[in-house]
Amino acid sequence: MSVKITRRNFVKLGIATSALMASGKLSESDALAGSVKLEYGGKDFSPATGVERKAIPTACWSCVTRCAAMGFVEDGRHVKMESNPKSIRTEGKMCSKGQSAPNEVYFPDRILYPMKRVGARGEGKWKRISWDEAINEIVSKIKPMRDAGHPEKLMYHYGRMKASSSKLIGGFFKSAYGTKTVGNHTSICEGGKWTAHELVWGGHFDNWDFDNTGFVMNFGSNCLETHTNHIPVAHRLIRAKVDRGVRIVTFDVRLSNTAAKSDEWIPIKPGGDCAVLMAMCNVVLNKGLYKGKGEAFMKFVKATKNHDASVADKIAALKKNFASNTPAWAEKESDVPAATIERLAVEFASAKPAACLVTYRGAVAHYNGNDAERAAFTLCALTGHLDDQGSRTKAVGGGVKYPKVPKTSKYPKPKGMKINDGHPKKGHPGYAAYPSHHMSHWVFKMMKETGETPDVYWWAYYNPVYVNGEFAENEEIMKTIPYLLSSNIVYDESSKLADLIIPDATYLERWDWEDMVDPNNIGEQYIRQPMVKPLGEARNQADVIIEVAERMGIPLGVSSMEEFVQKSYDMDPAVSAAGGFEMMKREGVWHNPKQKPIFKRYMNKVADAAIKADGVVYDKETGVYWNAKKAHAKEGANYTDTKNSYKYYVGQKIGNEVYEGFKPDKLNKSGYFELYSLLLERKGENPLPTYTKAPEHKAMGPDDLILTTYKVAVHIHSRSTHRKWLSELYHDNPGWINTKTAAARGISDGDKIRVTSPIGSIVTKAKVTEKIIPGVIAISYHMGRSESGRYGSGNKSPGGHDNDPDLKNKWWSEYGVHPNHIIANAPDPLNGQQRWMDTVVTVTKA
Amino acid sequence: MNEEKLDEKAQGARMRSNIYGFLSSMFREEITAEHLQQIKSPVIKEVLSEMGVQYDIFSQKDQDQLLEDLAVEYARLFLGPDKHISPHESIHHKRDDGDWGMHWGGSTVDVKKFIETAGLEYKQEYSGMPDHISVELEFMKEAASREAQAIEEKDWEGALYCQKMEKKFICDHLIKWIPAFCDKIISQSKISFYGDLAEVTKKFITLEYKEINNCTSEAERQVH
Repeated sequence: MSVKITRRNFVKLGIATSALMASGKLSESDALAGSVKLEYGGKDFSPATGVERKAIPTACWSCVTRCAAMGFVEDGRHVKMESNPKSIRTEGKMCSKGQSAPNEVYFPDRILYPMKRVGARGEGKWKRISWDEAINEIVSKIKPMRDAGHPEKLMYHYGRMKASSSKLIGGFFKSAYGTKTVGNHTSICEGGKWTAHELVWGGHFDNWDFDNTGFVMNFGSNCLETHTNHIPVAHRLIRAKVDRGVRIVTFDVRLSNTAAKSDEWIPIKPGGDCAVLMAMCNVVLNKGLYKGKGEAFMKFVKATKNHDASVADKIAALKKNFASNTPAWAEKESDVPAATIERLAVEFASAKPAACLVTYRGAVAHYNGNDAERAAFTLCALTGHLDDQGSRTKAVGGGVKYPKVPKTSKYPKPKGMKINDGHPKKGHPGYAAYPSHHMSHWVFKMMKETGETPDVYWWAYYNPVYVNGEFAENEEIMKTIPYLLSSNIVYDESSKLADLIIPDATYLERWDWEDMVDPNNIGEQYIRQPMVKPLGEARNQADVIIEVAERMGIPLGVSSMEEFVQKSYDMDPAVSAAGGFEMMKREGVWHNPKQKPIFKRYMNKVADAAIKADGVVYDKETGVYWNAKKAHAKEGANYTDTKNSYKYYVGQKIGNEVYEGFKPDKLNKSGYFELYSLLLERKGENPLPTYTKAPEHKAMGPDDLILTTYKVAVHIHSRSTHRKWLSELYHDNPGWINTKTAAARGISDGDKIRVTSPIGSIVTKAKVTEKIIPGVIAISYHMGRSESGRYGSGNKSPGGHDNDPDLKNKWWSEYGVHPNHIIANAPDPLNGQQRWMDTVVTVTKA
Repeated sequence: MNEEKLDEKAQGARMRSNIYGFLSSMFREEITAEHLQQIKSPVIKEVLSEMGVQYDIFSQKDQDQLLEDLAVEYARLFLGPDKHISPHESIHHKRDDGDWGMHWGGSTVDVKKFIETAGLEYKQEYSGMPDHISVELEFMKEAASREAQAIEEKDWEGALYCQKMEKKFICDHLIKWIPAFCDKIISQSKISFYGDLAEVTKKFITLEYKEINNCTSEAERQVH
């Protein structure tokens, strides 16, 4: 053909046809009517009547990501949940868990009234009581302990408490009531990863700038299915791949959906991540790939005992540390071919403009998890792919201001029982050097070992029997606690043991301000407001606590959580100027439009005035300026060994300048990016990243397998099986086992199998597949519920009703198994993280 | 952004809309006397000639005969009843699910849903199928026009919304079948006009696909 087309031609054609289009002659035979409507979401209509539904901006709470959301209400009933299209975090995306929100309010087994136990513990006999009686009972249990000088005998244990709830409820227990026996559940999530962060770069939480990256390397994170910042992260990652062709490489034991969507799935042995990451550091160092960005970043890195070492000295120290961690060595530890390790190390180091290194529980919930994360940081530092555009960055949250709960405790500091942080003696199986996020999985063991239990154990958003290892032992120890108080929406494996269950409001019936980290590194504030009034007599736990405090004579300064949220927004000048609480209720989200993405804060210089302020001293050992006076340090005390000195950190001297540096948080690290950790050295550990094989893996027999666990896209760990839409999608969890591993045991797909660990056994079905490496069995969480209502366990809960028409449509009667029955509680010895992925088992045909 | 630059961006979207509209009308039905007059207008003739579109046929003296010849060619290529090249996506778009090669297939449903979700309706008097090439091109005309309007109003979110919608439609639909469809016309046309028109269409869609995948738009910069 003779047709010659250029862009210029098309421009001319566009101009030439404009007159024709304007004349309307070419449109006379158009097939379409109307014009394109710009609907960004945020609206919904009743399919029955066509009437627009009431849209209420709010926030999800299904998982810890807590996405800004838009709920829809029709005839006073919450009917649908979508994302808030104005959110810069989610950009209008929401996962299946978030969309199942209406189930959370209306599931037929929901606890709707205060219930007092009348039979034996666990027998299931309950009596409905009034709120007045319930609150009187709570006050009668906890006030005398405080009056007698033992507030620490009240333990409050939560599974999730964030943002405004954290400030108000946490404020009650610590500042007003005076107990420090407050436990969380972070060590069974990713607490170990956070401790590693606190050792290396201070405040925890990483983010990845996928929108600007050139390459993504992922160790053990199933981030497309589930993640601490799931949807904000997942949709950006897939966008990078689809829109820009960014290569993704995933190391995983299992072909997760994240691995399947990656360009390469690199099968790896459990616990081998640390070895591979260290070998990659070896490659980068030996090939000189640190030169350039990495070498420049070294100025801010501590890699030797001497904080003032030259870059050359730092490189030499790292070369020495990683010298034996060759790719060939790592191949033996991980089953990842040496050539693959080398190839990917080079690709990572050479990626333009930058590369992202992702890690999560698959890499860190191991005996060597702390140093897997530190090795990952080393690789980022050596390549310079760190805290800058296109790389792993320090996360930025919304930063909401809030009124402090008045300190009415009679004691200068809250008192606490020593059961939250594992066993203090090194060498004990429950010991960890720096359990900076506590060791919730070891709390019951500490009670058992010391013989000391709290007098009152109050838990919320938490199912301690089910979510920790050693299910049976947890149940046994809990029963020995004098008084058990559960704040819950669902009757579960733990609340069935309670003396009193108080019905909490769901997240769709309560107020909060929220501030989860923003992948744009800008920071977004968002609100949670009720879709509907709490069902039955359910009440927001925060409001109940406000009333409890008032009856105890220690008021919290607000009359409701709504008031606390309002006061918070109105005390922030920027939010207030934008319309404050009323604006937040209307829009749901807010961010400072002038704020640019925040990177490289460590390069900010500290003003002279701050260094010369009263009480600020220079610590020779670390090069840190800190306020020893405010820290109440003894004269001559050093920074590293003074309790909580990190709170009084001012800056880090590097060369002749003082920088903001990598500010410490929770631990007394310096302002350097600490690959060489004085803190670990102080505890007799190797200060530089080190590979250590799990002791039980060293002792494995030829027939032994490693049990690993995982989460699926459509469930929240232990909080969603009562949601019918999700349980219809996923209600059974056969164990994944490789074809060869199964054949060697005479196991075929669908066979019943027995999985046995040193603490017990479970029976499940086999899913024989090539999607998992040999030598491993993988069993997901979520399932094996003995309680959680009919959709999740088949069992009707006390007080459950039969008015949900879908109860007749429920077609499944299998509920899977729970691996925690056979997983022992066992911490990473450096940070206390529960080692979910290290359990050695045998698998036989049942 | 200054007014001049703003105007330029809006103008770019308008021009794309015009081209889509022009191509849509050429494929919608047989060339009418009115179309012919427009195609033969000096301004169109100049640019099409520059592109290499052969104009010999238009110099045919007998206009009625020319319209008859073009109508016969249109029917032979696109309507049948003999073997012809159906101008519908569901025939040509080779989907992974195997649902292709017949009228009112999966692609027809997808296109109809896409267009209706965008707020447009199929006119009652339109008797063709939803995924006819002319309809898909007409949809792009509307989308690019709406984009231009959003830019003029400095509604960057709206402009970005339109660009994303256009990108999705190009990537999920137009590029999946129009180039291959045009190749068939090019090889089977007996009157150069339809072969040339197919080549112009193919190159335009290919260029659109490349540009929409490569550019970071002003709207994107403004929104982020």
